[in-house]
Amino acid sequence: MLKAKVKIAIGIGAGLLAGAVFADQPVAGHVPNQNRQAQQAPVSDSQSPPANRWWTPGEGTPLPPVIAYPNSFGQVGVLNNAGVIDTKGHPFFEPIGENGRACVSCHQPANAMSLSVEMVQQRWHETQGKDPIFAPIDGMNCPDLPPGDPKSHSLLLERGLFRIFLPWPPKAADGSNIDPEFTIEVVRDPTGCNMHATYGLKSANPMVSVYRRPRVAANTKYFTHQGFGVFSFIGKNGLPATRDPETGLPSGMNILSDARQPTLKTQAVEAAVTHLQFNGKLDEERLAKIVSFESQVYTAQAMHVGAGSLIETETPPGLGIYNLAKGREGLLGNNVTNFVFPMSEAWRKPAPSPDPEITRRNDMRASIARGHDVFMFRTFWIKDAMHLNTVGLGNPTKRTCSTCHGMHMMGMDIVNGWMDLGTTNLPWAREEPLNPWNERKPQMPLFKITCKANVPPHPFLGRVFYTQDPGRGLISGKCNDVGAIVMQQFRGLAARAPYFANGSAGSLRELVDFYDRRFNIGYTDQEREDLINFLSAL
Amino acid sequence: MKRQVVLLAMLSWAGAAMAAEPPANHRNFVACPIVRDTNTVPCWLAEYEGETYFLTIQTDVSAPVNPPWLGHRVLVEGTVSDEPRICGGIVLKPVALSVMQELDGSCNTMLPAEERYNLAFEPPRPPGPSKGRLAFGDPVTKPRAEEVAASRSFELRYEFDSLVMFRHAQPLQQIFEHARQSNATKVQITGYRAASLLSNGQLMQEDKEIGRRRAEQVADLLRGAGLTALQYEVKWQDETKRAKGVEDAAVRRVQVVVSR
Repeated sequence: MLKAKVKIAIGIGAGLLAGAVFADQPVAGHVPNQNRQAQQAPVSDSQSPPANRWWTPGEGTPLPPVIAYPNSFGQVGVLNNAGVIDTKGHPFFEPIGENGRACVSCHQPANAMSLSVEMVQQRWHETQGKDPIFAPIDGMNCPDLPPGDPKSHSLLLERGLFRIFLPWPPKAADGSNIDPEFTIEVVRDPTGCNMHATYGLKSANPMVSVYRRPRVAANTKYFTHQGFGVFSFIGKNGLPATRDPETGLPSGMNILSDARQPTLKTQAVEAAVTHLQFNGKLDEERLAKIVSFESQVYTAQAMHVGAGSLIETETPPGLGIYNLAKGREGLLGNNVTNFVFPMSEAWRKPAPSPDPEITRRNDMRASIARGHDVFMFRTFWIKDAMHLNTVGLGNPTKRTCSTCHGMHMMGMDIVNGWMDLGTTNLPWAREEPLNPWNERKPQMPLFKITCKANVPPHPFLGRVFYTQDPGRGLISGKCNDVGAIVMQQFRGLAARAPYFANGSAGSLRELVDFYDRRFNIGYTDQEREDLINFLSAL
Repeated sequence: MKRQVVLLAMLSWAGAAMAAEPPANHRNFVACPIVRDTNTVPCWLAEYEGETYFLTIQTDVSAPVNPPWLGHRVLVEGTVSDEPRICGGIVLKPVALSVMQELDGSCNTMLPAEERYNLAFEPPRPPGPSKGRLAFGDPVTKPRAEEVAASRSFELRYEFDSLVMFRHAQPLQQIFEHARQSNATKVQITGYRAASLLSNGQLMQEDKEIGRRRAEQVADLLRGAGLTALQYEVKWQDETKRAKGVEDAAVRRVQVVVSR
């Protein structure tokens, strides 16, 4: 462990975050030097809240301007640009629905404003499964399973997945039915919900149940931007973009895994109904407070166990919560002017040091910088990725990770962000071949998709194919949108495993390995290690 | 239905009248595309009657010609240029490429880089991050605020048998912006069905309904983007008889006239 483990202040006295504050407000004299030493001193464990710090709905504790929580790669930071957040009576933190949940239930500060499966399991043990996150509506595999039985909540407990139930056929913004380009057939229904008489596809209120991870409710200025690529027509297919119902402005369509809601506000309205079981529409005052909170909160890794502080002045501009908060939104980062996550030469080629601990720290920083270069510059053949290879790049295209993950500071897609990278569609989705010696059964539902005869087949999967989650296709009804998922941001990854919308990658190693298999990249051990270190520092 | 029509159209080549052939310097054919790696961006090639033709290099979304797809055949409509060969292929320029919609697993040829086939020029866009700009400009741009004409015509061009796709976002946005800025009251949309005269004399015709579908889709998209107050006149035409093997691709289009 480095002696230079960075001190991160907890609580309202966040002025202790001197290095970061100085970065914005230079202070003359000796204080910067004092700060450098102060930042090198270790932090006692008593100063950091436990990794499993749970924000209970309605607890009323003020959320400080800066707070940090440990994780296996260091500490994740949460920064409130608006200062102390009084959570008492705040609709993000209060149980406003029927089931006792609040927004914070699934967007926990300790988990980078998402929810890790580790935290889910902790809550299960602490509450004997009675925490509101296990509410039948979506915290159970299907709402009428036996409560209190871990099997009833297996997808949440094992993969951190909540049930998302969406009408079929899809509904347009005005509530009318969309005539889908494909038929959907339930091939496998391990949760019982898609064939269920009340909740299923053939019920009186037909619904498709898919299972997805909570997304990060922070850093929102980046993925709600009105900058590069946001127009009235979607740059990937020429179809009309969704619009803010209040302003009429087109949306960047990067909210939720299927871009079904155009704004943070409309997303809050839906989430209150579907996740909190609030019966009605939230009033304007509460909606405004939720959106206001989500628009000022930032989260990112703040300290890395090997590389040290990510909030000091010499931190590369792409890392740390302060740099994140002051970054520019709406920028394409897949270039050598903006970069996606700008690094620094000081990390790439640190000055030699006689101090072995400094040397070890610098080695990790250099590894993170190399991982960045793998992300930005290591080419491979991207093939058969719907909404990437089809948007003018050709199939295959020789490009890099940052081709798809090009949004400055986020690593999402800068334009309307759904893409089929293979996480839910077969043959690439995680599917363990069955065998007689294995008691593990498939966890995810499986759907057979048949593109109707009067539309072109899916460009890479044909007219009939299989998926665990039709993704954007459940909203647009488009055959070529099946399995296309709005990619998630890269910030705070270390605090919120598992990864991908369906939680199919349990660790950063599994995440990297997925891409290695999917695109036959052929990473060396060194490249893989560097890439994981890089991702763990975001 | 559409698939059947396309298949019927393609199967009918052999029986099609061999009334004319394209000029000798034109190459119009359907083939599997081939991708060849280089030490920068890959080249896209296709073979026809024993000769290799260069179609394009990998660029980015903003390029006027976009590479085809492995897993699909491609309709090539090009003019033989006198430029030096690129990646071993005779350069077709200008060239229009249409990805055939049905999958064809036999189109899977990827060739490795060879020193003799490296590009003799710097590509507009490297295989990794750009130098800070798209190779050919922003694919979707808002028109500058300027005096708006009372009536303006726009044209959307299509790949063979296709409807709106990524490259139409820009012209659709321009139509949208113009209609708003000019306080337009009506829009006239005409969709065209076309054919391509191949180098072997066969005529390749688009889906019989494609002109109507193109026109109606554009109208739906403009309405869907918010232009609901306009008076829409939507019509379509069959121009398959115009095919001459020269610029046949330009006939696959939708004409949009926005006026006050």
